[in-house]
Amino acid sequence: MRLLIGYTADARGAEAIALAAALGGPGAHLDIAIVLPEHTPFSANYPGGDHGYSSILAARIDAWAGEALALVPEGHTARVIARAVTSPAAGLIELAQETGARAIVLGGRKRHVAGFFAPGTVTSALLHASPLPVAMSAPGAVAALHRAEGKLGRVTAFVGTRPGARAVVQSAADVAAAQGLELRIISLAAQDASGQPAPERDDSSAAMRANIEALLADLDLGAEISIASGNNLDDAIGEIDWKDGEIAVVGSSRLARKHRLFLGSTAQRMLRTLPVPLLVVPRNHHTQEPAS
Amino acid sequence: MSHEPATDSTTTRSLETGMGEKGLAKGTVGVLGAVVIGVSCIAPAYTLTAALGPTVAEVGTQLPAIFLAGFLPMLLVALGYRELNSAMPDSGTSFTWATRAFGPWIGWMGGWGLIAATIIVLSNLAAVAVDFFYILIAQLTGNAAIAELTQNLWVNIPTTLVFIAAACWISYRGMQTTKAFQYGLVAFQLIVLAWFAVAAFSHVANGTAFDATPVSLDWFNPLAVPTFGAFAAGVSLSIFIFWGWDVTLTMNEETKNPDKVPGRAATLTILIIMAIYMIISLSVISYAGIGETGLGAGNPENQESIFAVLAGPVMGPFAILMSLAILSSSAASLQSTMVSPARTLLAMGFYKALPESFGKISPRFMSPSTATITAGAASAVFYVVTRLLSENALWDTITALGLMICFYYGVTALACVWYFRREAFATARGCFFKFLAPLVGGVILLVMFASTARDSMSPDYGSGSNIGGLGMVFILGMGVLLLGVGVMFYQRVRHPGFFKGETLKRMS
Repeated sequence: MRLLIGYTADARGAEAIALAAALGGPGAHLDIAIVLPEHTPFSANYPGGDHGYSSILAARIDAWAGEALALVPEGHTARVIARAVTSPAAGLIELAQETGARAIVLGGRKRHVAGFFAPGTVTSALLHASPLPVAMSAPGAVAALHRAEGKLGRVTAFVGTRPGARAVVQSAADVAAAQGLELRIISLAAQDASGQPAPERDDSSAAMRANIEALLADLDLGAEISIASGNNLDDAIGEIDWKDGEIAVVGSSRLARKHRLFLGSTAQRMLRTLPVPLLVVPRNHHTQEPAS
Repeated sequence: MSHEPATDSTTTRSLETGMGEKGLAKGTVGVLGAVVIGVSCIAPAYTLTAALGPTVAEVGTQLPAIFLAGFLPMLLVALGYRELNSAMPDSGTSFTWATRAFGPWIGWMGGWGLIAATIIVLSNLAAVAVDFFYILIAQLTGNAAIAELTQNLWVNIPTTLVFIAAACWISYRGMQTTKAFQYGLVAFQLIVLAWFAVAAFSHVANGTAFDATPVSLDWFNPLAVPTFGAFAAGVSLSIFIFWGWDVTLTMNEETKNPDKVPGRAATLTILIIMAIYMIISLSVISYAGIGETGLGAGNPENQESIFAVLAGPVMGPFAILMSLAILSSSAASLQSTMVSPARTLLAMGFYKALPESFGKISPRFMSPSTATITAGAASAVFYVVTRLLSENALWDTITALGLMICFYYGVTALACVWYFRREAFATARGCFFKFLAPLVGGVILLVMFASTARDSMSPDYGSGSNIGGLGMVFILGMGVLLLGVGVMFYQRVRHPGFFKGETLKRMS
């Protein structure tokens, strides 16, 4: 499996490499991309033109490339690609398509500032336009991965009540199958989402479970099914137990264009609280379903 | 496991494709694009408002003559620059060029001169932007009192610091202006300046000018300037108004045809700029005269920013366009000029001529980090000090800037002569471009530097601010250079590597 890493020479980049190594599993090939802004002559920097900047930048990137390769765990092949691009997000998508990557992997900061989900601009752009799955980590999530010796242990797919679950489940199952991992399917049943009192919620929980079972049977997959309920979304997510070395898989919003990624509002809220790395899958990824 | 050998070779190859092209958009700039870049680097709306008053104060009606005379050393030095740029394209900065030619000591001071000049111009750009920011608000709201706010130091200094911080932040984030933005900005400036000139001349024709002064051929005669000191000061100021023009000559790979585009663009740019400078200086003097009262261009009250005073009476309600043109051109220049000292500081840090932390590049934004913040902080400090010490900070900084440009341009021009000393005489072309032009240009600039420095010791020089009888311009200019000498010796003692030629070798 090939993965493309959007690398920055800091803690984030190191987290991205750790996540990519785990996600790819043994033998995966990692393309470590360092993208830099294309110089435009119209920026009219004056006086003195380049000031030797490009040669210094090249030397610095060579050093960063060496550091990045040293971070790649044993058992993986890796290379560094440095390229000047017009926009970092577009450049990463372009590189991923050129190299035939299965997903783009990014590091991340602590994901919320004053309670708001705040991904970096590059992450944010990818989360709303990528034609490929995007995997993200945060410091806490990578720490959990380290406790599991850098290996994935279980894959958890989040599905909703609306159509579109098939792509998410299939992608999660692919990741699990590649490394022989357990698969778990979770549906969130929060009161503020359904607006129903408790008894009806139990009924709808049963209906959700039945839907997922039907989907799994259709895809010929076996998985643990779990319905997480709570008074609101945060409560419901809080109920879920996590193992070290787990990865969560979520789908795209129905706002996404076909085969493009668009992080929905529920997924955004989940990002805030998840203690594990997250893989976001484009709409209709792999499978073709009629648009809803 | 297997990643070591395979990786290394791939890494190198990939890096070459990315960096060998220097990330430049190759061959995308035609003559028009290059002219736009040239005019945008000169920022005529800003340079005119900043330099016209102080130059009139020196040379009176001979303003057009001085503008023409000031271009000559600029041209000669730029020709030398072009030779250095094509000989050492990857290290295009005064610091590395002068180090390669003259060794670490002069190289260090060449770099410092460039940094000092850009720090000074940054503080001036920010101040001009702030003035016109308040003037613009006053014109928009119709409340003239707001324009006066900029006289209040408690308002002026914090606003200027905010402008500098914003430019610093944009530069640190690695944001760049786009082609459409530059075209728009340049067209807008040229249209507004032409409008001003036409409006001023029509006031003169209608007899409604402040002090109608008939245009005389004598205005174009540089020999009519009363003293050599005034001439030298005028030239060192007019170097500033052409500062930026040489960018068109040194453009190379970016152009569609490197043999033809830079030369044509440079010629066309200077014709456009000269035309604008001529009609503006003629129209200002015809309209306002050089009297020292009221709207007169010689009035010390008007020296800071000539358009701030004249745009209203000349253009009427459309003066708001002039405010907008100057605000946008100085704010854009503030941001793009910030890159310059930051990159030179970065290069000096990288080659260990300054502490290594200056050599840091932000891994996220791919821009100099420590160096950018230092450049912003230095221009903020320079501005606050000048504003507090001088009665007329803008006037004095522009004069000090002229000094500094003469210094580093002069040093770089002589570096060119020295660098090519063996090969220059092989051909007639080389003899002119690599020896004669930069030698004459460099000597003229260093003479201007020395003459202006000497005169500026007088307490009456520039705005007339002084400390203990020593002129403010001299204190600012020499203070900055001496500070550089101090830092240089400190660095020599603490980290001697660069001075021993371990990081950047002198060409022998």
